[in-house]
Amino acid sequence: MSAPDRHPAALVLGLFMVGSAVTAAAALSVAVKRVAAGREAVPVLIAVNLVAAPEEPIRAEAQVFRTTPAILAIEPATRRERSAHPRTLKTVRFLRAFPGAPPRIPHALTPEEFRTDACKTCHERGGFSQRFDAYVPVTPHPERGICLQCHAGEDSLMGVAIPIANPNARCPQCHGPSGGPPRADASLTWPTTVWPQVPLTTRDQNPPPIPHSLQFRENCLTCHSGPSAVAEIRTKHPERVNCRQCHVALDPEAEPFTRPLQDVAAVPGSAP
Amino acid sequence: MVFPTDAILRPGGQSGPVWKKTPCRLCGVGCGLLVAIENGRAVAVKGDPDSPVSKGLACVKGYNSVQALYGRDRLAHAKVRRDGALVEVPLNETLDLVARRLRETIEQHGKNSVAIYGSAQWTIPDAYIASKLFKGALGTNNVETSSRLYAGSAMAGLQSSFGLDGGIGCYEDIDHADVFVLWDVNLAETDPVLFSRMLDRRRVNPAVRIIEVATRTTRTSYAVDHSLLHAPHTAPAIANGICNEIVARKWVQQEFVSQHVAFKRGKTNIGDGLANDTLIAEDATDSTWREFVAFLADHEPERAEKLSGVSAASIRWLASLYGDPLRKVMSVWGREVNQDVRGTWMNNLLYNIHLLVGKVASPGNSPFATTGQPCGGSAVNDAGSLTHTLPRGVVQNEEDRRRAGDIWGVPVERIDPQPAAPLLSMFRRLERGDIRFLWILGTDPMVSLPNLNRYRQAATKGDRFIVVSEAYPTPTTDVADIVLPAAMWLEREGIYANVERRAQHFERMVAPPGEATGDAWQMIEVARRLGFEKLFPYQPGGHVEQIWEEYRRFHQEPQDALPAASELRANPGVMWPYVAGRETRWRYNSAYDPAADGTHGAFDFYGHADHRAWIWLRPYEPPAESPGGEYPFWLTTGAVLEHWGAGSMTQRIPTLHHALPHAYVEINREDASELGIRNRETIRLVSRRGSIELETRIDYRSQPPRGQVFVPSFDEARPVNRLMLDACCPLSGQPDSSKCAVRVERLPTRSGT
Repeated sequence: MSAPDRHPAALVLGLFMVGSAVTAAAALSVAVKRVAAGREAVPVLIAVNLVAAPEEPIRAEAQVFRTTPAILAIEPATRRERSAHPRTLKTVRFLRAFPGAPPRIPHALTPEEFRTDACKTCHERGGFSQRFDAYVPVTPHPERGICLQCHAGEDSLMGVAIPIANPNARCPQCHGPSGGPPRADASLTWPTTVWPQVPLTTRDQNPPPIPHSLQFRENCLTCHSGPSAVAEIRTKHPERVNCRQCHVALDPEAEPFTRPLQDVAAVPGSAP
Repeated sequence: MVFPTDAILRPGGQSGPVWKKTPCRLCGVGCGLLVAIENGRAVAVKGDPDSPVSKGLACVKGYNSVQALYGRDRLAHAKVRRDGALVEVPLNETLDLVARRLRETIEQHGKNSVAIYGSAQWTIPDAYIASKLFKGALGTNNVETSSRLYAGSAMAGLQSSFGLDGGIGCYEDIDHADVFVLWDVNLAETDPVLFSRMLDRRRVNPAVRIIEVATRTTRTSYAVDHSLLHAPHTAPAIANGICNEIVARKWVQQEFVSQHVAFKRGKTNIGDGLANDTLIAEDATDSTWREFVAFLADHEPERAEKLSGVSAASIRWLASLYGDPLRKVMSVWGREVNQDVRGTWMNNLLYNIHLLVGKVASPGNSPFATTGQPCGGSAVNDAGSLTHTLPRGVVQNEEDRRRAGDIWGVPVERIDPQPAAPLLSMFRRLERGDIRFLWILGTDPMVSLPNLNRYRQAATKGDRFIVVSEAYPTPTTDVADIVLPAAMWLEREGIYANVERRAQHFERMVAPPGEATGDAWQMIEVARRLGFEKLFPYQPGGHVEQIWEEYRRFHQEPQDALPAASELRANPGVMWPYVAGRETRWRYNSAYDPAADGTHGAFDFYGHADHRAWIWLRPYEPPAESPGGEYPFWLTTGAVLEHWGAGSMTQRIPTLHHALPHAYVEINREDASELGIRNRETIRLVSRRGSIELETRIDYRSQPPRGQVFVPSFDEARPVNRLMLDACCPLSGQPDSSKCAVRVERLPTRSGT
């Protein structure tokens, strides 16, 4: 879990950094005492000074355990059953030029959002977006720098005002005046390779292997659980957080195992 | 028996795609990519996690780059212009025509009447063959590439400050620096993965600061910690102001300076390159520390404030970051600095700052010029393909000529010791008729040259024979007499080198369409038809490796040794100098560079005979053209994330095209309001050289300050270069093509208001 969770009683207000010239790492934890002042408890910062941050953890290992409340499964009774934009394998593939490609941005962005790369305000934690009548997909890699570096949009939707209140004005902005597929479609079909699939036989019998590359998708829960999960691949057991204990990634270049022939006489130290 | 895993990995029983490594085709960062090849097609891309450059990350261009091979109007056959129209002709016959015309032109008008203009996006073997054919076999120095357009001043700056081309540090500096200063570079869009590495550095170590000195607010501005906006062309004033403050506050590293630095004065009032056709020769006069201090007295932060608009307080603060002995500083700059009538001087000035405080050639302390092009624009990569260079060294140097003569197998007298005049001069000579035959490969000058109309007219004059090797129809093929179909990246084997001196190999992965052939092989075929078979004995298929190994023979010294082709194949890139199996990451540093002689102390700037780096006394001189009178606005141009160069590839990639289908003009909100211009309205920009009509975008992606408009330069249908100025830096020959003076006009509406 991330650092603040190790100190459930602490409230992190901020970190003050000393000039990074001092390279000796003495990471002190930040804690806050609630000091009674009159009627209100006033949080006071007492310890400070994270001098050098810890070494960058191995992404492929650390990200698996990162989660937020919004991406865990929500009780069906509190979850809206219908949104205008359910997320399915079909919609997922629609937005990707080839398997594993960074998805295109299917929705309009206001000028402020487009200029300042404010995607994480929605896509880091997910939740329901009234603006687009959809559960927001959660990014498996929020720590990456600038979202627009890899995720491109449709020019006519970038940097435009969005009429939020009136669905009659709002929907045609992306779907055009007569409805239909969103304008982010255009003619982006391009001959590519087949999408990975998990055949039925495997699904029923044992934990299926991971059929896709993990690069940038180390955090499983963002697509496989939560209200914005892709419908066909939603996991029935999101509370088991160590996904890769049972589900392994496959090396597509591995040959079937055969035991190399050993000449006993050639092994040093063996009996003649 | 079919295992369930097989069914997953190879659905439908197919063999599945094979992933192969390659450097990205596009910008100068040189990200490592893995491309999926299936059924003879490139079908997918992912970042190569083993790449030390990009570590698995890419940008939207890289992810979609393979689609550039499959545009609908890809050129697959050779064409010859007959009666005004281009007709298809078999390749062999066309190559015969090219050779014949080349020979005839030389016979009638002399060897300097032919020229070749290649690309900063050439692979190294392409550049090498061009140099060997024209300089070695034909004996003319009329060899130039578009590197000059993007990196000329960076090269000249390194040459004058350090005596040698080639960057000093490497990308690993990013992992050590405490402060990043971006000088006039929209890094989030021009070098996105490099910028991501800086953001990553700051995320892991939040004490890191990223500061930009910029001429407008861009996507980069929203990610950095501080943004200092200044008027175009005035960065040299800020740099000198910083030096003034460093000296005044005694932040100079005196020991470093006295041991490793010498002071020089050069020519001043060097003009703007418009009137003269040759580069001016630098005139280095010895100077002293005292003279330097006296010189700086004229360049206080207050004067810089008046010139640039950046407050003196900010300049002093920036100087304090450079001067802080406990902080490592990396400065990054690019095209906007280099494309200026004083581009070389500005490069010198940035090195001056780092030299004064001893922050150079060590991890994290790094003055770093990016050049944007996949071949980095530094000497090893141009492989002798500039008007003054040889595969090692320059034509003016006798030893360098002798080496070239030996390795090429040509008499040394054939190599002309007088360099040809570069780029714009070459096109002016075409205009005058001194050049009658021009072969253009892999670049689009009819979109990318400033003052475009003038040079388009030059190319279309009667009796100028233009051969263009290209992958797609472009405004340059529109003026061609012969079009040769070019094989692209992945359709041929190649070697690129990026800005951190990393040579990266890619194998041939898919077949080119029709008769499309790689640039190097086209030149070899023409060379053989000219009678030079013995000089070009390479075998098809293996020629890239043969050419690389021949090129390596030029670089046997520890200061520039190259890795073997086998090493390039086995690794995701290898940095040069490569000595005894190890990469030299920091040059001139005795601890890291085997070519550094330990007898000179911790550093050995062996590029100069005195083993010192040079601080040049460079004053502020005004720009070639300033806004005023009838042309009251600055027009600046530059790159955007989604598109590359003149757009001939990226506009044909659907995802990128739909993300940004055409160019536009960005104007400040208040200026628009004053002029009565509304968002998305079409307006006209007019300069002294041409005009263009564009859609307005206000507060879209970048926000120019008042008095400035910005137009991205990727769109051949809206070629902003019609308006730009063809002045150049008189030392480097690089055009000052990213800014000029314009006026902004509303178009009359139908109702006549």
